[in-house]
Amino acid sequence: MLKILIPTIMLFPTIWLSPSKWVWTTTTLQSLIIALVSLSWINWSSETGWASSNLYMGTDPLSTPLLVLTCWLLPLMILASQNHIKAEPIARQRNYITLLASLQTFLIMAFGATEIIMFYIMFEATLIPTLIIITRWGNQAVRLSAGTYFLFYTLAGSLPLLVALLLLHQNTGSLSMLIIQYSQPMALSSWGDKIWWAGCLIAFLVKMPLYGVHLWLPKAHVEAPVAGSMVLATILLKLGGYGMMRMMLMLDPLSKDMVYPVIALALWGVLMTGSICLRQTDLKSLIAYSSVSHMGLVAGGILIQTPWGFTGALVLMIAHGLVSSALFCLANTTYERTHSRTMILARGMQIIFPLTAVWWFLSNLANLALPPLPNLMGELVIITALFNWSPWTLILTGAGTLITAAYSLYLFLMSQRGPLPQHIINLQPFHTREHLLMILHLLPVALLITKPEIMWGWWY
Amino acid sequence: MVNFAAMVREHWVNVLVPLGFVIGIYLDRWNDQKLTAFRNKSALYSRELKPGEEYTWK
Repeated sequence: MLKILIPTIMLFPTIWLSPSKWVWTTTTLQSLIIALVSLSWINWSSETGWASSNLYMGTDPLSTPLLVLTCWLLPLMILASQNHIKAEPIARQRNYITLLASLQTFLIMAFGATEIIMFYIMFEATLIPTLIIITRWGNQAVRLSAGTYFLFYTLAGSLPLLVALLLLHQNTGSLSMLIIQYSQPMALSSWGDKIWWAGCLIAFLVKMPLYGVHLWLPKAHVEAPVAGSMVLATILLKLGGYGMMRMMLMLDPLSKDMVYPVIALALWGVLMTGSICLRQTDLKSLIAYSSVSHMGLVAGGILIQTPWGFTGALVLMIAHGLVSSALFCLANTTYERTHSRTMILARGMQIIFPLTAVWWFLSNLANLALPPLPNLMGELVIITALFNWSPWTLILTGAGTLITAAYSLYLFLMSQRGPLPQHIINLQPFHTREHLLMILHLLPVALLITKPEIMWGWWY
Repeated sequence: MVNFAAMVREHWVNVLVPLGFVIGIYLDRWNDQKLTAFRNKSALYSRELKPGEEYTWK
């Protein structure tokens, strides 16, 4: 565990002490090395279910793919933000990269924590750098209200979680994930227990986000700079899913009846947010709503608590993390050239940037879950698990996949096809950096087709 | 020589992250040693290892 955490912490002096002309090169290179070394976690050799553990941190098959994804994302975020941050003074550039690196530090400690309270503290700690990234480096004045929404939605959800965790600690005597799964199942029946059940999950459902408490997400995504959107879509939403999987183990006898309204809301959300995507005019907002729609499916998969549900949720989380981050990067490349997120103002881009149109095409196909890709595997496993739970869910999930395909087509047609608007006269050509960025996003997705079992979680 | 000194001055920061790896791997191994101090030694599980077998668990 420390073999990744300590180098990540060493990134801070590296950022501040490297000569100004080398800052971006050095940090990209070093973070990429950290990401490559973190791949060694995948090579699983433990027989006890936990590996590379010290007193406070360890990895298990559930957290390993998310940890590797976290490490993989930092070099990509640094690559993606270069163009728009380079115009700023050097101290501010260093500040920005420091925030991104601190986010990685907190996230490694959150996913690696073996103690639920430590996970909780790190879950909250990730709010601070993200809030600064959104409210300091966003583009418009509305970013302040987006930051407020982001902060208060999450905080209001997670305060009950703190109380619920303290109660749990009082009852079981420990919050260690190594021990707590072996403790006696609690006899939960009273109204107080039901409120406790809700308290344990609300924080994660807000973070996911569940339809109904999702309003902070499109705002935060739209206002955040590209690195903020990337980390939100890729990792921060998955913190919710990960936390839920950890908590579900302890909520067992009560969940059977309590989850009905939540699953109904999550699946209804898949339909509703998908339909919202169909009438979006804002490029980033569309991708954000598509994230909400996918995460609704993940929430459904986790809440029915079957091995298939958990596995499908984890696979979809990893695949969606890479693909939605790729879509946000593509949206940003358009935004940096046309200075507008409105889709109708930047149509027909295929004529000018044919290779980028290929990236758009591939990312869109991945987003709508084209057959061999891990996105399909995740969705199919979740849909099957839900169908097994209740055949009626097929109406919602089936319509959901249909709408996903429809808005993906809409997104591609609006941004790439059609006539080129008259006002687009002169666009900056694409950098090799941007193509590299897309390759680094889509290559892991392609490689995961060949070995999906590394993200199957506990049931591999 | 001057070129070498200039290169060291410009690029010495690249040492920090690899240094972090060294420290991290050292601490991880030290911790593993501590956790496995009683491997093959408990009354219940101690046994003669087969030739070529390294550990009974890791």
